Amino acid sequence: MRGATQTKWIVAATAIALAATACSASSKSSDSKAGASAGGTIAVELGEPQHGLVPQNTAESEGSEVLNAVFAGLVDYDRKTNAPKLRVAESIESTDSKVWTIKLKDGYTFHNGEKVTAKSFVDAWNYGANQDNAQESLPFFSKIEGSEELAPGKDKKPSAKELKGLKVVDDKTFTVTLSAPFSQFKTMLGYNAFYPLPTAFFNDPKAFGEKPIGNGPFEMDGAWEHNKQIKVKRFENFPSSDTKAKLAGVTFKIYDNLDTAYNDLRADNIQATDKLPISAMSTVKSEFGDRYIYKPESGVGYIGFPIATNPETYGKPEIRKAISMAIDREAITKTIFSGTRVPADDFVNPLVNGYRKGAMGDAAKYDPVKAKELFTQANGVPNNTIELGYNADGGHKEWIEAVGNQLKKNLGVEVTFKPFEKFGKILDALGDKQYSGAFRMAWSMDYPSIENYLRPIFSKVAIENGSNYGGYVNEQFETLLSQADQAKTEEEGLKLYQQADDVLIQDLPYIPVYTYMSSAAYTKKIKNFDTDAQGHMNLAEVELA
Amino acid sequence: MGRYVIRRLIQAIPVLLGATLLIYALVHYLPGDPVQALAGEKRVDPLLRELIREKYHLDDPFLVQYWNYISGVFQGDLGESLTGRAVTDMISEAFPYTVNLALVAFIIEAVVGVLAGVMAALRRGKFLDQLVLISTLLVISIPVFVTGFALQLLLGVKLKNDYGIDFFPVSFHEEDGLRAYLLPAFVLASTSLAYVARLTRTSLMETMRADYVRTAVAKGLKRRRVIGRHALRNALIPIVTFLGADLGGLMGGAVITEKIFNMHGIGGLLAQSVYQKQGTVIVGMVTLLVVIYLVTTLLVDLLYAVLDPRIRYE
Amino acid sequence: MSDTTTVGSEALSGDTGKTDPPKKQKTERAASLWSDAVRDLRRNPVFLIGAALVLILLVMAAVPQLFTSGSPFDGDACDLANSLKRPSAEHWFGFDVQGCDVYTRTVWGARNSIIVGVLTTLAVTVVGSLLGLLAGWVGGITDSILSRFTEVFFSIPLLLGGMLIMSMLGKGNAYTVSLVMAVLGWPQIFRIMRASVLSNKYNDYVMAARALGASSMRITFRHILPNAIAPVIVIGAISLGVYIGAEAALSYLGIGVQSPEISWGLMISDASARFLTAPHVLLFPSAALSITVLAFIMLGDAVRDALDPKLR
Repeated sequence: MRGATQTKWIVAATAIALAATACSASSKSSDSKAGASAGGTIAVELGEPQHGLVPQNTAESEGSEVLNAVFAGLVDYDRKTNAPKLRVAESIESTDSKVWTIKLKDGYTFHNGEKVTAKSFVDAWNYGANQDNAQESLPFFSKIEGSEELAPGKDKKPSAKELKGLKVVDDKTFTVTLSAPFSQFKTMLGYNAFYPLPTAFFNDPKAFGEKPIGNGPFEMDGAWEHNKQIKVKRFENFPSSDTKAKLAGVTFKIYDNLDTAYNDLRADNIQATDKLPISAMSTVKSEFGDRYIYKPESGVGYIGFPIATNPETYGKPEIRKAISMAIDREAITKTIFSGTRVPADDFVNPLVNGYRKGAMGDAAKYDPVKAKELFTQANGVPNNTIELGYNADGGHKEWIEAVGNQLKKNLGVEVTFKPFEKFGKILDALGDKQYSGAFRMAWSMDYPSIENYLRPIFSKVAIENGSNYGGYVNEQFETLLSQADQAKTEEEGLKLYQQADDVLIQDLPYIPVYTYMSSAAYTKKIKNFDTDAQGHMNLAEVELA
Repeated sequence: MGRYVIRRLIQAIPVLLGATLLIYALVHYLPGDPVQALAGEKRVDPLLRELIREKYHLDDPFLVQYWNYISGVFQGDLGESLTGRAVTDMISEAFPYTVNLALVAFIIEAVVGVLAGVMAALRRGKFLDQLVLISTLLVISIPVFVTGFALQLLLGVKLKNDYGIDFFPVSFHEEDGLRAYLLPAFVLASTSLAYVARLTRTSLMETMRADYVRTAVAKGLKRRRVIGRHALRNALIPIVTFLGADLGGLMGGAVITEKIFNMHGIGGLLAQSVYQKQGTVIVGMVTLLVVIYLVTTLLVDLLYAVLDPRIRYE
Repeated sequence: MSDTTTVGSEALSGDTGKTDPPKKQKTERAASLWSDAVRDLRRNPVFLIGAALVLILLVMAAVPQLFTSGSPFDGDACDLANSLKRPSAEHWFGFDVQGCDVYTRTVWGARNSIIVGVLTTLAVTVVGSLLGLLAGWVGGITDSILSRFTEVFFSIPLLLGGMLIMSMLGKGNAYTVSLVMAVLGWPQIFRIMRASVLSNKYNDYVMAARALGASSMRITFRHILPNAIAPVIVIGAISLGVYIGAEAALSYLGIGVQSPEISWGLMISDASARFLTAPHVLLFPSAALSITVLAFIMLGDAVRDALDPKLR
């Protein structure tokens, strides 16, 4: 009889669903669409965040976009220079890059009225660092002293509840002791893993995730409506020393297709998006003019090589250099990407302090003749075949095929392509040694520091615990990194990081192909819209036009 | 008849159990790590990965996992996704949109398809017949993605911006009621529409040649009555079969249409869960689809007896 | 329904017990059915045009060199400098985004597409029809088991089934994609055939044949099948085109035809993202697919008419 009850249930569900739409059919569409005209609210594009909106458990861009509106961190970043600027912090100081003293400003409260204190930060960080809570930001706290007590590893119980390195001095002051000096620590602190949490969070983390209580310029206006929208409204008690929101409210309208969002933008059903579909690239400029934002973004796109598992093919730096020189970056970025990507010429993104224009020299210059020479001198590759893997879900097919065609033409090799459903599948296949070809890969920074373009992708620790998917190891690179970490001043550190970058340029463990440009657009209804290097919208500053 | 229905419903129980076990096993033995699939392009911290796998019991033996799952199901709990959402919530959010979309598409497909097929059959080789043929070719050779976006751009954006007519919403809002479903339903129905029209055409032409139809015409009955009462009724059997089998497809397979019009229905959710290897979500939804297929085929089988009194169930 | 079951199964077991001579007779009769059909077809212009088109397509699939001097696999076949150029006197179909000649690729893409379309349709039709015949004719428990089985199969998402088969096979090509689509596609034909058989098995001539003591096999293949096949042919001809187009969707999962191999499905899907700015890249492979489907629809119509005993 199970079938019968199921049928009834379906019929009932149908009836209810149809009835619901029938009722609302007459009442003309409301807020989410009327948007801009009604009292200073707008709608913007968003993808469905992955899980509960808890800052310590959010490592993806969509959730982070909302958190950026609802929370305020210790620092934020200058939109031009990307240098960290104090925000909730009054000062962040250290004499030895190991012990940091953080003082807070007055006036910040959570949306429920609770004051933001040193404890709000320390509790939040302790929560994030504790493996029992399995928060996605767990690795971010590993630099703080005592982190291994809270995250001792699988099947072990944490031996402490609080990080040894965190000390509340008073309501407005706390100190952070790192396990080793790290000169770039301050730049990390704008990342959402380091946002504060109110005590209300600890009573019911799950409910909090549906309707977070932050300390930012916007507060939640009702709970997250899954797969539909997230509404926020201006937080009236936001300190005037910071940027108070100008709009009365913002609706994050949830899309899972950028083409659709773009058509809604064209019809002014939403007012802004910071992600444009490939199909829009060639026409967006003529359609949106000044309201199309085109500026560098933090991402770098590479071709990666499984150096450790397939040294026969990709082990020689000369081969990798030949491949690099056989790629016409200029033509690919112009035709395939309609100029929305720029040829890469350094391992470091142009946005961050320490980037050097043209650092890669002739390795990044298109020179088919020299490339072929180098390739032949190094005896080519086994079977004269290069395999290029990519994830099919991210619009990479075209540029990978373009690269393949160029390698075929310029190096005279056979090129085969291997699509994977998701990037994760490439990692699985590389890990299981089921795939040993070259692969596409991209990196976008967690925090604007030159270090973030080096260690997480190319260091020895990143093989197990990061994004060194190729298994590249170079001791000289390792030494330079640790020297740079311990540098007394930022400038000194920067120089050493650049030397580490030079090692990469010699070895070319990956080939940087392009850097991303942010592509955002907004409609005539709003002004002052902009995006930052982390891809966040500056919603607090946006006004109706 | 009543006994037949009861027998069919009893059969549903082992089928459902078998289906959940089968799907659960398929997902379980699919290679790939669901935790990494969620994490995008950065590798999940190894400790974090272990912690999440432990939290969701991903390392338990298959039968243990299945047992935990199925005993939850009997208590009305379809489990939790790896992103911490209850599967029942996810399904009950997505299902109403899917049902409405599928029903509207189904009506378009049945009404327009059968009408077009009848016209084409009656005027074989004439304009309408050719039109049905050409539309069929177009629908097959131009991807839904293209027709969907072209219609969205023309009727959603251009009509609003250039003529001020804001009738067809670009993306789906349930507040817009029925009209929010029209365009997506038409796009979704288009391929099936071609099948139904051509099936009707052929089927009707066949039955019109049958003896009883010839007899009816010879007896001097009106053409319209013969077609409506006798020929079409018998010709409907393959069409009803197709439509019945298609209803489930309209629900579970509307991935692209849902995507184009930003409807967060079952199709998209199912596809996403397969990509992410989210076992509990997939099993929950596929089981629901099995139920839908069981019910529609039962209804279709009962309809046979109505359309052709010679077919009987006891 | 149970009475037909017993009659059917009895007759079936009786039939399998029989020895050669009656079987021979049956093939003769079947041959006469077929020779009738062939005679009909030879005189039918719809069939001749359809057959000619299919023949051209088959030749194109087998020997693409006859239709174009270029090869899409040459090192310098594609040049980004030609990206998305419109059709011209030298390049009738223009260039795609990679700067490859669309005409050459359309010609060379025929092979994989025809393989996928024909193989899948064939497999689905044969398996679906036979099982459908069995379920519809025998009825009873056989029907129940087969029908419930298809309902489960119907519900398995293409994506899931595809990924699973892919993980077992390793690398995809035109054959693997046909396999995946056939495995998940036959239930549709099964349902249609079963319905067709149900609505035909109570017809007077079937009753008559049974009363005359004709074997179950004979009734099935001589009387039921020719009468029940029409809807299957209609669905098959359309599905052929749908399979060719759907192949591209599976290519994304690594199941289908992989670049640098070419297929119309891949070309169509690659061109879709830019259909507004460069419609010509989409137009030509789509037209090729249309013509193929048209050819098979014409063939199907003609074959159906030729097999229809009522037209005699």
